[in-house]
Amino acid sequence: MSEPSLKEQLAAYEALFEKTGHLYGYESLARKESDPGTYEAVWHILSNICNAAWSVGCMASTSPVAAEGGDALWALHTPTGDAICVSRGITAHPGLLADMIKNFIRLGYEDHPGFENGDIFENNDPHYGGIHTPDFDMCMPIRYKGKLVAWASSVTHVNDVGMAQPGSIGFLNPNVFADGLTFSMEKVGESDRYYPWYDLRIRSRTRTPDYVLGDARGRLAGCITIRERLFEVIEKYGLDFILDASKEYVEDSRRYAVSRVRTQAIPGRIRKSQFKDLAMKGKRVLDPSQDIDCLFNLPMEMTVNADATVKLSLRGASGTVPFGQNISPTALKSGLLNGYSHIVGFDMFNSGPTASWEVEMPPSGSWANPFEKDFFASSGVAWAPAVIWMSSLYEVFGRLFQMRGFVEEMAAGAATTMTAEFAGQTQLGMYLASLTLEQASNGSPARGYADGENSAWCIYTPNADFGSAEVIEGYLPIMYLGRNIEPDSGGYGQFRGGLGHTAVWMIYGTTGIDYQCGCAGMRSKVLPNHGMYGAYPTWPDRPSYAHDTNLKELIDAQKPLIHERGPAEDPTITRIITARQMEDAAIAPFITPEPLQNYDVILHPVSGAQSMGDPITRDPISIEEDLNKGWTSRRVAEEIHGLVVKQESERDFIVDVAASEKRRQQIRAERIAKAVPFKEWWAVERTKIEARENMDEAVLHMWRTSMELSPSYGEELLAFWALPDDFVF
Amino acid sequence: MAEFHKADIEKLIDGVLPWPATQDIIKSPKDSDRFDKYIEIMQERVTFKETILLPLTPMLFIVSADGARVVKCRCGHDFGDYRTNWKLSSLIHVRDDEASLGEIYKGREMPDPSWTQLREYICPGCGSQLEVEAMPRGCPPDFEFLPDLDTFYSEWLGRPLPDSVASEDKTLETIADWSAAK
Repeated sequence: MSEPSLKEQLAAYEALFEKTGHLYGYESLARKESDPGTYEAVWHILSNICNAAWSVGCMASTSPVAAEGGDALWALHTPTGDAICVSRGITAHPGLLADMIKNFIRLGYEDHPGFENGDIFENNDPHYGGIHTPDFDMCMPIRYKGKLVAWASSVTHVNDVGMAQPGSIGFLNPNVFADGLTFSMEKVGESDRYYPWYDLRIRSRTRTPDYVLGDARGRLAGCITIRERLFEVIEKYGLDFILDASKEYVEDSRRYAVSRVRTQAIPGRIRKSQFKDLAMKGKRVLDPSQDIDCLFNLPMEMTVNADATVKLSLRGASGTVPFGQNISPTALKSGLLNGYSHIVGFDMFNSGPTASWEVEMPPSGSWANPFEKDFFASSGVAWAPAVIWMSSLYEVFGRLFQMRGFVEEMAAGAATTMTAEFAGQTQLGMYLASLTLEQASNGSPARGYADGENSAWCIYTPNADFGSAEVIEGYLPIMYLGRNIEPDSGGYGQFRGGLGHTAVWMIYGTTGIDYQCGCAGMRSKVLPNHGMYGAYPTWPDRPSYAHDTNLKELIDAQKPLIHERGPAEDPTITRIITARQMEDAAIAPFITPEPLQNYDVILHPVSGAQSMGDPITRDPISIEEDLNKGWTSRRVAEEIHGLVVKQESERDFIVDVAASEKRRQQIRAERIAKAVPFKEWWAVERTKIEARENMDEAVLHMWRTSMELSPSYGEELLAFWALPDDFVF
Repeated sequence: MAEFHKADIEKLIDGVLPWPATQDIIKSPKDSDRFDKYIEIMQERVTFKETILLPLTPMLFIVSADGARVVKCRCGHDFGDYRTNWKLSSLIHVRDDEASLGEIYKGREMPDPSWTQLREYICPGCGSQLEVEAMPRGCPPDFEFLPDLDTFYSEWLGRPLPDSVASEDKTLETIADWSAAK
């Protein structure tokens, strides 16, 4: 009897999971139980193979994004597509790569064109599961002695994919036709080589083809590394063991995720609202329809079921936007693995945890399910709203871990992701469009027992790394005048978020370059989160720049330059720099109205993360230490943390602990006196809502679409404020 | 299965456990009695005598009080039935203009008050700031967690609570009462 096709195997596995609740119907893990040592050893060998692929692949890549930033990933999959293990890198992608392989199988590619060693398949099309076009998802079948035994996969984020606007953070794309070059579930090579047309198409349709093709070769080199090393492992441990163990690793990981929820969380319903702005009115846009401001509703409702599985809902999500910030449900669910792996299922990072949760189909016509109602919606940087929604998992699970007493597992809210991308002529006389990767190094969220770490965390990769300034200066016509920890950027709470940093760049060596301050999950009009357990959230993302400046005169005169942002009410840029065009607190995202020239200045802040706990319960000595390191200001220490502080010299603050305790008691009394009973506020607030008082059109539009797309959400909102059934925002 | 001293768990909660010992707790398999130890610690720290069923936040607890399950602050203030969002029984201070937001956020840090408001929930008993929400006007307060306490105790911990309560959101019932009394 011939072996069932991959399509038949996939269907059989899905039926087995439905029937048994175990992936592949594995009610026991036979290989693990019979030979746990080898099982564990082979897991690490396979993981190392993926990491070797990452090293080889990044070395073979050419773009600063891959080679310096490491914005890439390689993975090994079962014959039916589940990720077995993955490399370091961008952990948002294993779910996408697994779904891509399954799609190739479901679409019948096994019959035509077939799956052979050396074949190269790619997809970057969001309509078929890609997250956005600059992320090139690739896979290669692996046959051993004729039998398809695995897949190798890879993704790299390329510099430029021929979008309407140069670069890879396509928030400005008004529709899919601006999303650039797409490979829609295509076979792009065989015999370990790309077809000649692949090279030709990239050369004619992207702005930085050498980098894009270099990264394609990096992906290929990594996948070949996986294949060749896997053959060695099969020779050593036997094919049957590898095939069995590979599936057991995935089921093992599912079990881990479920058991972690059961032993460390609580069943019930948890809700968290989140909002994200995209304010583009009056700015440089690509289409007149984009002269608007938008607010996204990103609500998360999570139900922890009695069997410790989890259900997530986006009921209430707002409508699509005429920008590149819509995401398909497939990509959203795949990306969710990133957040889940961080906070729940990270013992063996693979596809297993995806079988421990279910995502309710997001409302049709929302930013999270756009194509049924707006088939040509853009996904230029689809990740932007999705990552904010997904980041709610930190706080949601952090609360559950606290309830169970696992304080060491708690995390407050995440930081934001505001990118810096440049497009124009470099100091080498060549054209370049490229990210700096500066954003890949946020502060980390406050923990249940300590502050977060400064500039050491990134939501989409466990390997936070903003790259070497010197290397970035080699690629781009910018010089670092500063790269400093930003004081008070981690919110205000008992434990504060890790602080972010600000990069200070001087443009140098160009005839003109655009600075695109991009949105990959930032907020500029609204506060970036709630304050967990009574903390105050961090401030909005507000970069600065100055165009046509006096910086050369300052250098020539050997006068002080600008190296940091300075206090919010006395910014260094306005104190030191004069310029024809200056924005101290620009509402992001944006592209500079005119190309920047030599000696222009940019201050690009990379955010800290959120705090937790009432700020007047923060340990006074920790605040004293922050004061003396320059990480907090006297105003914050006194007015928000309620301390009594003496200053002996510039960096010599002394906290009067006894007087501070008295002051904090006073603050408690002041709070009670100033606040009103909720019911009293509710009665007044509902009349303001009814009158739409001080509500920006972006807010009203968001509520209108949320209520229209999710009627039950709308009914609950109206009932809460006791508004008439026919009320429309 | 690891086991940790109650004193170390207390230090961990207070953020004073030395880093090597903290790392040990992070890296070790989880201790199965953590929930009970945590409850024990919290029970010693609160001012009330009722039995804690669940620490909802580090400051708020669902307790068993005369057969009812209510939310209480560490200070003992009673927020009522745990199935109604406790925020409805809280004090609230809202910052929705530049003057009030400016007490926290200066200059370039200022959010746009026509896009967002900052809601501070204050315990009427002790003045603790229990939660802070940043949301646009019109957003109902988050009801962060409605636990399924009976499933948790009976199926997950294997020791059912003496009585059983349907786990259903009662927030809108309170609102309906307020609305009827308008």
